[in-house]
Amino acid sequence: MTAVSPSPTAADRLPTPPREWWRYVSWGVLLGVFAWSAWGLDARWERLLDAPADLWNLGRVMFSDMAFDRTGDLLADMWESIAIAWLGTIIAGVFALPLSFLAAENLAGTVTTFVVRQVLNILRAVPEVILAIAFIPLLGLTPMAGVMAIAIGSIGTLGKLFSEVIEAISPDPVEAVDAVGGSRLQRLRWGVVPQVLPEIASFLLYRFEINVRASAVLGVIGAGGIGGTLAQSLRFDQFEVAGLGLIIVVLATIAVDLTSGVIRRRILRGPST
Amino acid sequence: MTAPVDRLPPRPPPGRFAIGSAIGAAVLTVLTANAVDFSLTGLVTDLTRPNSVIDGLLSPDWTQIWSRRSRSAFIETLQLAVLGTTGGAIVALVLALYATDYGAPNRTVKYVLRLVNAVIRSLPDLLWALLFVSAVGVGALSGLLALFFFSIAVISKLTADTLDGLDRAPIEAAVASGATTTEMLRTAVLPQILPSYVSFVLYGFEINLRASAVIGLVGAGGIGERIQFFQGRGEWDKLWGLVILFFLVVFVVERVSIFLRRRLV
Repeated sequence: MTAVSPSPTAADRLPTPPREWWRYVSWGVLLGVFAWSAWGLDARWERLLDAPADLWNLGRVMFSDMAFDRTGDLLADMWESIAIAWLGTIIAGVFALPLSFLAAENLAGTVTTFVVRQVLNILRAVPEVILAIAFIPLLGLTPMAGVMAIAIGSIGTLGKLFSEVIEAISPDPVEAVDAVGGSRLQRLRWGVVPQVLPEIASFLLYRFEINVRASAVLGVIGAGGIGGTLAQSLRFDQFEVAGLGLIIVVLATIAVDLTSGVIRRRILRGPST
Repeated sequence: MTAPVDRLPPRPPPGRFAIGSAIGAAVLTVLTANAVDFSLTGLVTDLTRPNSVIDGLLSPDWTQIWSRRSRSAFIETLQLAVLGTTGGAIVALVLALYATDYGAPNRTVKYVLRLVNAVIRSLPDLLWALLFVSAVGVGALSGLLALFFFSIAVISKLTADTLDGLDRAPIEAAVASGATTTEMLRTAVLPQILPSYVSFVLYGFEINLRASAVIGLVGAGGIGERIQFFQGRGEWDKLWGLVILFFLVVFVVERVSIFLRRRLV
């Protein structure tokens, strides 16, 4: 018997690492884009070195001697921002709910779903600030311009989230309503809405939290709320007002987040936790 | 024979929490409607009378993109988003890594870093821009710094969440073989989070691109300055042309980025 000479098999060698050319290409593209941006941006780079000192100075004048006598005004402005956010969220919800029925694949036809989804995508893409710019000439420099900007800006996201909730429902209650001869409206009212209501309420609150942040800045361009006061005080070097305003924005945002978070958990988990 | 059930069982009444929150929501809606002087009829008349805003939206002027100033503002916006995201992504990774239980050298560092993260997160994009315009003056540099901090906020939050749900075994292995904290983070933690981290960076870039369109409204560079210029002159057709083109670019970038994110995760 002749000994089989151990010819090197594929298993003896280490596998050659797969050629990850696309990795090199993407790094190359990334570095190229970065270099192009750094080279092309006219940012007066020499000032970057002064920026930390500038920022420190701004922080010092803002927080060293805050204008506590203006606390009442600033809180009233913050309340206006919260009001804009709440009302905008409610209006958005009123429009988003019917749209989400039309965007859910288990309720509407393919063509309808496609069209409504594209509309929602477009609405989702536009920032609230741009919408506010468009609403200010129509409604004036009033909080209503902010409300409408927030409302239109939230329809897209809410509609998308709602329709995803609707697509995840159990078909059984819908079938039951069909079996006893319910109309299309009754089918939605008794087959769909009871299943999705808790999650929809929770998404509305979640969007409200986001909108409080958005409405706090809308005032910067004149659409009501605390942003206007902040922008004015920074523009006219009233840093002691701006500092206090900034702290109020941060604290109010955190307070709204915490409250809304507690309610949302209670809605989704039920009473016994 | 059983008697036919001729009555439906009584419906259980809604719970205290449901009643309470419904009343609460209704009261809040009335109060807030009062606060902003909400009037439906006023809204309808204001929105339906003929106006140049809607006219401009219906017949946008696309030619703006060929004008030299609009085009350079357009490019500046893209460059701001790229640089702000890159810088922010690097700092966010460091902040998130050293704020974890296993990455922080001691408890003080951990809590200080977590506090820094929380404060950075609580400010929206336009407020960052406003602050930096006051601090370093009007121009692209303040826009860059605003987007830098805004990216830190977005990316460090998402990365920190991923770091919390990490497999601890490789960390233990690295520590057992005598690795320093930095070596451990590089060999045991980074390889685990890299795909999700890259996808967060891409997501941050999408958000920054949108933000970079608005920070110009307070003088922080980019396309927002042109938007404000056309708004001031009431040239809505040009404004909408520019805005629509910009969001087409955002849309394309988003599609590419979603495609890349799917490949990575």
